[in-house]
Amino acid sequence: MDGAIISLEHVSRTYDMGRMEVPALADVSLQVMPGEFVAIVGPSGSGKTTMMNILGCLDRPTSGDYRLAGSPVADLDDDGLAKLRSRSIGFVFQSYNLLPRTTALDNVATPLLYQGVSRGERATRAKAALERLGMGDRLDHEPTELSGGQQQRVAVARALVTEPALILADEPTGNLDSRSGADVMALLHELNASGRTIVLITHDPEIAATAGRQVHLRDGRIVA
Amino acid sequence: MSLLELLRLSLSRLRTHRLRAALTMLGVIIGVASVVALVGVGQGTTSNITSRLAGLGTNLLTISPTGGGGGTSTLTLDDVAAIGKLPAIGGVAPEISSNMTVSAGTKNTTTTVVGTTPAYPMVRAYDIWQGSFLTDPSVDHDLRVAVLGATTASTLGLGESDIGTQISVGGLPFRVIGILQAKGGTGFQDPDDQVLVPIGTVEKYFVGGDTVRTIGVTVSEADQMTATSTAITALLRDRHDLAATTASDFNVFNQTQLLAAASSISATLTLLLGGIASISLIVGGIGIMNIMLVSVRERTREIGIRKAIGARGRDILAQFLVEALTLSLLGGLIGIVLGLVVSAGIGQLAGWGFVFNPITIVAAVLFSLAVGVIFGVWPARQAARLDPITALRYE
Repeated sequence: MDGAIISLEHVSRTYDMGRMEVPALADVSLQVMPGEFVAIVGPSGSGKTTMMNILGCLDRPTSGDYRLAGSPVADLDDDGLAKLRSRSIGFVFQSYNLLPRTTALDNVATPLLYQGVSRGERATRAKAALERLGMGDRLDHEPTELSGGQQQRVAVARALVTEPALILADEPTGNLDSRSGADVMALLHELNASGRTIVLITHDPEIAATAGRQVHLRDGRIVA
Repeated sequence: MSLLELLRLSLSRLRTHRLRAALTMLGVIIGVASVVALVGVGQGTTSNITSRLAGLGTNLLTISPTGGGGGTSTLTLDDVAAIGKLPAIGGVAPEISSNMTVSAGTKNTTTTVVGTTPAYPMVRAYDIWQGSFLTDPSVDHDLRVAVLGATTASTLGLGESDIGTQISVGGLPFRVIGILQAKGGTGFQDPDDQVLVPIGTVEKYFVGGDTVRTIGVTVSEADQMTATSTAITALLRDRHDLAATTASDFNVFNQTQLLAAASSISATLTLLLGGIASISLIVGGIGIMNIMLVSVRERTREIGIRKAIGARGRDILAQFLVEALTLSLLGGLIGIVLGLVVSAGIGQLAGWGFVFNPITIVAAVLFSLAVGVIFGVWPARQAARLDPITALRYE
């Protein structure tokens, strides 16, 4: 499909466990159009994490073709993948994954550092992103000084700051209480409403139900 | 990423782990400081010896009786005259010395009074600052005239206008006819603290007899030193009627050679000490490597995060390498300052002042840089090669 931001064609990923090969993803094809909010749902062991790694360009498919924003990922080396991640993908993790002992502002500014953005512009853009998420009064706080919900907001700000084509959220509410979780989901919907493509990975059918489209994974295959 | 960004990143990292950074740097600090201090002290010693070498007088042979200062001397003024007739002799100056109280007006001091001849300044490499040195007539007639060393003169409060002043040496009146130029030598004996008088005067009024303590001889050509030394030995053995089996009752001492040897020993020792000290620098480097490896382990997750949000392997490599370099360079700089302070302190105590050698500093900086690179590269490569997926899941 032309114009798709994510295009997986017959993608498989098998892990070589020495004596036998374990298929984590088998012949998966998926298209995500710009502006979509897609939830990838499945129980543990269904291949969600592998899917997330491949979509996030942290891993390469064993076979099949993955195009992110039109460009094939298979030919890229590690540096090329890093560049693609830096430009096109914003990650939101279950465990926030903020840099420890680093202020919220510096955390959000770090992706820009790897894009070679100047110090002054980094600070301005990171501050703007944090303010947009209502964290403008927490710029100098380190992760340990923030609640789980606040940390996840900082993480979302970090995912946003590079203006990526795609936001990949891996169980973003998994570590949060239901209220903060609802907050973060509301935030993601708000971002989606303003035109961002969001792929959400979750095992929770309730969370998945809020997405525009659900993709169900089971045993490494798309079942629905 | 620019070097400035990397530096900023590593400095903020070191700030959050101050104690760890300080302890890691301590290894390099001690290493560099000991190299700088030991080499500084070594070079101070060498240059001290070299300057004393120059101050001794060129091609100097010293003849003294066996048994040091205590025994009776068998060297006589006739021996001196006989040595003067040997070939390749530049000058011969006999010396008899005695410690006496010297006073001028209300000031007095105890110093070495040396009886000698007009050849003395040439043999011992002194220059006259004021007045004149002992002359042949004053020596021939055992006159009570004195030439003061620079230190003695200033102790007694005598200056350029005081030539001709009466002073008292060992209770007898002497006239000051000259003051020597300061040699400014260092070491255990101040070469400027002495009073020189005609040799006969000392024998007549203070010591008695006609033996001399020391004979200084300059040889006209440097390559004649050994031959002349042999010739003097043969001459004196013959004059003293020594049988071939009897040991000599005097020593011919080539001080220049001795000090030259000492200087080369000191230079070798400097190298040796520097070498030993650089071992501690290597140990300091291993300390850096150790802490960097621990740091890579501890920060596995951080590395995973950084990679996920766009850091390339080389960004991570650079970050860790610059961190190791910051530790080693900062440690190196502190070590240099500390080493210079220590070597300046020792130089002050030993009296040769502060020997500053820019080559040592440059070498120390380069060495600590090298330590940072050598011991930082491996941990940094380990960090750079981490797989982002595994690193992100690392607890």
